[in-house]
This record gives sequence, structure tokens and C-alpha cells, in this order.
Amino acid sequence: MSPVEIHQKLRDVFRDVFDDPLLEITDSTTAADVEDWDSLTHINLIVAAEKTYAVSFTTKEVKALSNVGDFIRLIASRAK
Amino acid sequence: MSFLSLKFALFVVAGLIAFHLAPGRFRRHILLALSYAFYISASALYALLLFGSTLAAYVAARLIEKSPGEDRKLRVTVATVTILGLVLAGFKSAGWLVEIVRALWGTGGSDAALLIIIPLGLSFYLFKLVGYILDVYWTNVPAEHDFVSFALYVAFFPQMVCGPIQRAGDFLPQLETLGQPDPAEMTAGLRRILFGLFKKFAIADPLAGLVTGMYSDPSAYSSLELLLGTYCFALQLYADFSGITDIALGLGKLFGLKGPENFRMPFFATDIQDFWRRWHISLSSWLADYLFTPLRMALRNFGEIGLALALFINMVAIGLWHGATWAFVAFGAINGVYMVVSVLTTKKRKAFFRDRPHLSRMRAVAGPLLTLHLIAFALIFFRAGELSQAFEYIEHLVPVDATGGIALFRLDWAQLGLSPLKFLVILGCAVCMEGSHWVSLQPNWRARFLEAPRPLRWGLYYASILVLAVLGSLDTQKFIYAQF
Repeated sequence: MSPVEIHQKLRDVFRDVFDDPLLEITDSTTAADVEDWDSLTHINLIVAAEKTYAVSFTTKEVKALSNVGDFIRLIASRAK
Repeated sequence: MSFLSLKFALFVVAGLIAFHLAPGRFRRHILLALSYAFYISASALYALLLFGSTLAAYVAARLIEKSPGEDRKLRVTVATVTILGLVLAGFKSAGWLVEIVRALWGTGGSDAALLIIIPLGLSFYLFKLVGYILDVYWTNVPAEHDFVSFALYVAFFPQMVCGPIQRAGDFLPQLETLGQPDPAEMTAGLRRILFGLFKKFAIADPLAGLVTGMYSDPSAYSSLELLLGTYCFALQLYADFSGITDIALGLGKLFGLKGPENFRMPFFATDIQDFWRRWHISLSSWLADYLFTPLRMALRNFGEIGLALALFINMVAIGLWHGATWAFVAFGAINGVYMVVSVLTTKKRKAFFRDRPHLSRMRAVAGPLLTLHLIAFALIFFRAGELSQAFEYIEHLVPVDATGGIALFRLDWAQLGLSPLKFLVILGCAVCMEGSHWVSLQPNWRARFLEAPRPLRWGLYYASILVLAVLGSLDTQKFIYAQF
């Protein structure tokens, strides 16, 4: 799966989790840029991404993420 | 050494002189020496515990960083966090241990009680250490190689009594550029200290007598008076805790170090989730990162039950952090129930109000009011200390046949120990406090205040000092959070 495909699917995951159909994300998007992105919604994102891409992450991997770009790279390293 | 004593003021002045005269490379050493001197003035024995915990975490973090295999990193992390957690749990359950000792040795237990005094700032500095170890394991921060810097992070005296719980990744980089503090920052620090004193002397302490009286004997008060007491305690706790946080942050600024904010107008929170994003932020965000996240990850395959369980455990942990008593467990559990209901209904509530814009406008007022009352109720358990006392308070608060002949709506100011005028002045001070918070959160208004003519700004400072002199009492109450 290419980074562009991952990005598009991930945008839909974000839109669903934050209940915002117009939400846009970039590689540099962080929790500070999205209203309501807290520890709770962060894990909801992880769980939704795990389901979408049929992958699994560890707590250590999740805690090391600093922006959407990191998240896309992590998914790319797992998704087939 | 209390933050409100003359001895402490002299200590800070002497420390500032030494800090400012010293060459840049020795400033960290001076701050560390000051921090340990402050700690030793409370207890030399427990200073050894502080030093030992610091050394253990320092070595463990280096080991985690150097270990080649993931298994070994994990083993060192788990062992260190477990040991630090046991130290905290041991002291926090001291009350229960004392009860056992008393039961076994009768009156001799009182001697044992003297031995089990919780070390100053234990909950705050052990949380710093545990967070640091996990951050190193998660590769969020590198292990600190300079022991002086690390020991200063843990023992930094302004944050020792009541926090805030600053993250290593936020504090340690500031030490690399620790120079002569900016005069504007120092002025801001002094302003912050004055604001903290204002909250303590003009709001928190004048309400302390009223609250203590009500919790000592609720049967002597009417339902209306007890209702007033629940609001008063919420306000007292907020002014007291945010007051000492202001003093801690202001002191830090005098030494050129910035700390994290701990409050953001919590009683204007729109719902319970919002409240816990605004109240004791350094603790709630700590638990969100280091307890809730791993727990939620572990329970993520259990759907909403897993989510509810992780939320509930997290909130009970917030209660237990204050002490191992059933009243604090109840405080956490009540908030846990609030939080679970709030989180599980978020989407539904959002959709409901989106379709009803007229109700949505009412929600802007009703949401904060409901949240305030839910929190004020939970705080009855926080203040009571024991479950039986909390239930006794609630029994007399609820207007059923339990008032012992006292009219439900009696408002006896003599009984409350306050005059209506003084009460109004305290309320006025509380409005000023929240007004100042609001201004500080608006970048434009903040700049406008700082650029206002000097007589206006200084007039305000002197007015604050005047209020302190009029409302302040020599019989100073201890800071509530200093016991944790």
C-alpha cells in the first residue's frame, strides 16, 4: 500500500473518529491542530487504524508517534 | 519550611542572590543545593529517600538506553516502575498500616503513627520519576547523562510541595540554556506569586473556617447552609491549589525556569471530560499518558466494556493518588462513573444537540452548571476524609427529615462565622480571580494589560496587597495539597 493510499484511508479514519466529515490531515498534523484530540481519541484512532489496515501496534510504538507522518510510516511498515 | 513563612522568603532571597552572582555553569549546582537544603529542612532522613530514588531512576534510565535487547529494556523498566510504585503505595497506605499497628499494640500504635509520616512531595516526585523512566523506555526522551541536571529536575524546590508534575522533556532542555533570567520574566514571576498569595489569603483561607465547621458537625447546619458549604469548598480548594501552583510557577520564573500550567478555568468546563482537561492538568495528563493509554491499549479488544474499565480505573487512580482512604476511592469512583457515562454518550449528545440548535444555546449555560454540581458533590467525599463523614454531610444536605429541627433554608451568618459583607467581598475576589484567568488566556487582552499605563498596573498590584492585608489572617492555613 502506497503512502498516498494510506493517507487517504487514514483521513477517513480521522473523520470518523472526530465526527468531522471535512477534517483534513497532513504529515505534520499533531494533536494540537485537531480539536478534541486527547489521549482518549488518540487510542480510538489507533484502534480504528488497526481495524482498517488489519495490523497491530504496541503501546511503545503508539507512544513514540509525534505527528500524522510518523503514524503513516508506522502503518506503511506493517500494512501489506 | 512553609512557602508562606518569613524564613522561606529569606531563603528565596538568599538563593536568588547566590544564583544571580554565580557563573552560568554553577547555576544548576546552586539550584540543586537550594532544593536539597529546602528538603532537608523538612526531613534529613527523607532527603535520603529522595536521593536514593533519584539515583535509582538515573541508573535505570541509562541501563534502558544502553541495553541492546527489547526484553532487557522492558525488564529494567518494569522493575524500576514497580519499586517506585511500591514505595509510593507503602507510604500512601500508611494510615491503614497504622490502624493495624494500633490494633496489635493498643495505644502504642500512636508512636508508630509518628514514624509513618508521608515524605514531603512524595507523590509529586515519584510521579516525575516513573514518567521519566517510561518516557526513556518509549524513546520519547533520551536518558539524562548529567546527574546534577537530573537530580535538580526531581528535587526542584518550587515544585516539591504541591507540584506541578513537570515532564523531564519539558524541564531538562531548559537547563541547557539556564542563564541570567530575563527581567521581564522575573517580573512576571513576582506577579504570579502575588496572584497566588491573593488567591490563598483573599479567597481560600477566609472560607476555611466555614468549611471546617460544616464538615466537623453537619447536624448543626441547615440544608441551605450545607449546600453553600459544598460550593465554598470547591472554591476554597481551587483557590488554594491554583494559588500554590501560581507561587510555584512564579518562583520557577525567578530562577529562569518555566513550569506547566495546572488549571484552565475548570468551573467553566462544558462537561466532565472537559473538567478533567482543566483541573490539576499535570496529574490528569500524567495519568492519561502513563496509566490510561497502556491500560486502554491492553483492553482495546473488549469494545466499550474495555473503554469503560480503563476510564474507571484511571479515575479511581486519581482518587487513590491523594491517599489510600475509602473516601478518596469514592471520590475517584464517582468521577469514574461520570466519565464513563460522559464518554460513552459523547457522539449521541453531539448528534442530539446538532439537530436542535435552540437547545444547543441553552447547553452552553446548562453544561457548565451541571458539571460544577457533579464535581461539587464528588468533592464532599474528597473533603470529608472518611466515608461515614461524607454520608453524614449528605444526609443533612438533602432536605428530608434529617435536619434536627433546623429550618431547611436557614442562613445564620453567625453560625457560618462570616458576615454577609465579608462573604460578598470573597465572592468579588473570586470573580476578579476568574476575570484575571480569562484575560491571561486571551492573547490580545493579556498584551493590552501588560501595555497598560504603569500607574494602572501598579495600582492593581497595590490593591491586591491591600486586599491581602485586610482579608489575610496571621493564622495561615496549610496548603491543602501539601498533605499529598
